[in-house]
Amino acid sequence: MDTAPLKAFLLKNDPEFWVQLKVLTYAARDFEELFLLSSLRKKAHARKLPPANLPKEKLRLAILGGYSLYPLHELIEHLCEVENHPLELWQGDYDNYISEIMDDDSGLYTFAPQVVFLLPAERRCTYTGKLTDPRQMQQAEAQRVVDSLLELARKVNEKTGAEIITTNFMLPARHDLGAFRSRTLGSDWSFRKWVNLELGLASPAYLHICDWAFLAARHGGLTARDDRAWFESKQPCSPALMVELAREAAHLILSLKRAPKKVLVLDLDNTLWGGVVADDGLEGIELGDTSPRGEAFKAFQKYIASLKQRGVLLAVCSKNDHAKAAEPFEKHPDMVLKMDDIVSFKANWEPKSENIRAMAPELNLGLDSFVFVDDNPAEIEIVRQFVPEVTTILLGPDPSDYVTQLADCRLFEPRNITAEDAGRTSQYQSEARRKALEASVTDMGSYLESLQMQATITEFTPVDVPRLSQLINKSNQFNLTTRRRSEAEVIAVMHDPACVGYSMRLQDRFGDHGLISIVIGKKNGQTMEIDTWLMSCRVLKRQVEEEVLNELARVAKTRGCRTLHGIYLPTPKNEMVRDFYGRMGFTLTSESDAKREFELPLDNFQPIPTKINITRRAYDPS
Amino acid sequence: MTQAEVIAKLQTIFDTVFLEPVVLTPAISAKDVPEWDSLTHISLMVSVEKAFNVRFRVGEVENAKNVGEFADLIIKRQTER
Repeated sequence: MDTAPLKAFLLKNDPEFWVQLKVLTYAARDFEELFLLSSLRKKAHARKLPPANLPKEKLRLAILGGYSLYPLHELIEHLCEVENHPLELWQGDYDNYISEIMDDDSGLYTFAPQVVFLLPAERRCTYTGKLTDPRQMQQAEAQRVVDSLLELARKVNEKTGAEIITTNFMLPARHDLGAFRSRTLGSDWSFRKWVNLELGLASPAYLHICDWAFLAARHGGLTARDDRAWFESKQPCSPALMVELAREAAHLILSLKRAPKKVLVLDLDNTLWGGVVADDGLEGIELGDTSPRGEAFKAFQKYIASLKQRGVLLAVCSKNDHAKAAEPFEKHPDMVLKMDDIVSFKANWEPKSENIRAMAPELNLGLDSFVFVDDNPAEIEIVRQFVPEVTTILLGPDPSDYVTQLADCRLFEPRNITAEDAGRTSQYQSEARRKALEASVTDMGSYLESLQMQATITEFTPVDVPRLSQLINKSNQFNLTTRRRSEAEVIAVMHDPACVGYSMRLQDRFGDHGLISIVIGKKNGQTMEIDTWLMSCRVLKRQVEEEVLNELARVAKTRGCRTLHGIYLPTPKNEMVRDFYGRMGFTLTSESDAKREFELPLDNFQPIPTKINITRRAYDPS
Repeated sequence: MTQAEVIAKLQTIFDTVFLEPVVLTPAISAKDVPEWDSLTHISLMVSVEKAFNVRFRVGEVENAKNVGEFADLIIKRQTER
């Protein structure tokens, strides 16, 4: 790395220094390079050559742990600052982190950090008993290590509200113990693996793991450590790994401040497949398992598909004839990506910068959430120049490296667990418990009884309108008529004196299912026509249908009706309810391909007994 | 390598690390160079080990009192390989 031009800018007090500093910082791989850049940066500050647009507001970061944090803090500060996030640092004393956290009057709390970076001492993450102790004993100690770290994090978060980043523990890279290391939890190898795993899985949302074990494995176990640096100055690891550690820490710190990327814009020819489809034709492009290059492109598409599954939106931007560009998506048997996967498809002769600019309002997303990949440096350059907000990745030259190039760009990493994810997890867990219970009880009746189901039935209310309309518009399978209704139309039903409309909410001892069934009836003389009856399939076989019918009969009778009139309108998706009315005791009165009609007289109707306890009914005067 | 040759090569490393020019002599030491603090020292040693392809033993660098002794240490570790 040639730093002479950088120094020259500095000695001339030329602001170009900052531009070069950023470029060299991205390129720096060695500790001494990065450290030198950081020193020059500090000298630039001392010489009053501040970067023009550096925010005044500094992020308050506290670093503490069981090591000398010097010069690690220096590198982290440098990496954040070149990304335009200057830091105000507070450093804990060497190996004083436990008391700094536990002592309410410590300097840590006076500093009031926004982010805390904690490096717990690895020598405290070791089993102190015998290798041959019972596994339960060893595991209990590993659990204590995890619990005490979680407790430290909880305490800091509770006192300061700060986000906390903690390193986990590097694994040993020595042959000591031989094959026995894997046969006992008492070895550092097994003990730390267990602690790392449990710590990661048990971390609350405010605690982020800086995966030191991963970084060391990626870097190479033998060169990750430097025992001499530990004895001489209590350094946490080798200088080379310290660069990786600092980059990871800076990445995590900045991730807390930066919005994630949302859209991946893809070139086509020589990006998604080999060759040029307009020249080589559908049969001529390289894609699929018939050639090594074709395999590489297919693997790249599979990786992109996995990004989509994580929630990244995919778009296409190609200099191409639209029909020819679309053809592989529609017809090529080895295309992993299909037209349905692409939210915006731009294949034309306009500059790519203009095409990408046009996508932003189309998708209602800022340009800074876009990432563009292309194998052509000229296309990358035009986008860089004319839409600098977009992040660009130049692929190549070998398609077998494409996946690595995209996977290591660090732009599409899932963030923390959201409340929604957490909700999904708990839904999944209660479903699993429910299934376990179902397997354990012998008959359906006692199973349903054991669920302790409770339901409320509510007439349409203004506050429910969005949820009602949503369910009306998305239910396909258990939906007798599949009549869609906007929110305004739901409100119209609510105000129509000839209509009844109600919904049911269900909960049981494992969880709340929310609003799961909707009925709309239209009174026509002494007949109540069932305009809409739908139900969420999650609650099939739970006797919800029976209770909905009981309620329908009750409400219809209070409105002076003597008959229920059921209609089934077949769609490609609602076969499951074709005979539903028949099963519920209705009589088939007419039948055609387009419609089946049923009737149920109400005069002698007896409510069907169920295991659901109805705690509120529709149009309930109470 | 002679001590003078080692110091000449060290000079190029110091020129990279320090912004203000420092002329190395056998008698000069860290306390004579304002930029040569304990932080810079770590980086300097990493650079020297790479440039001379040597590895110092634990604790021995801090025993070198000046650049001359440090150069001698480099020679000692070089010849040992």
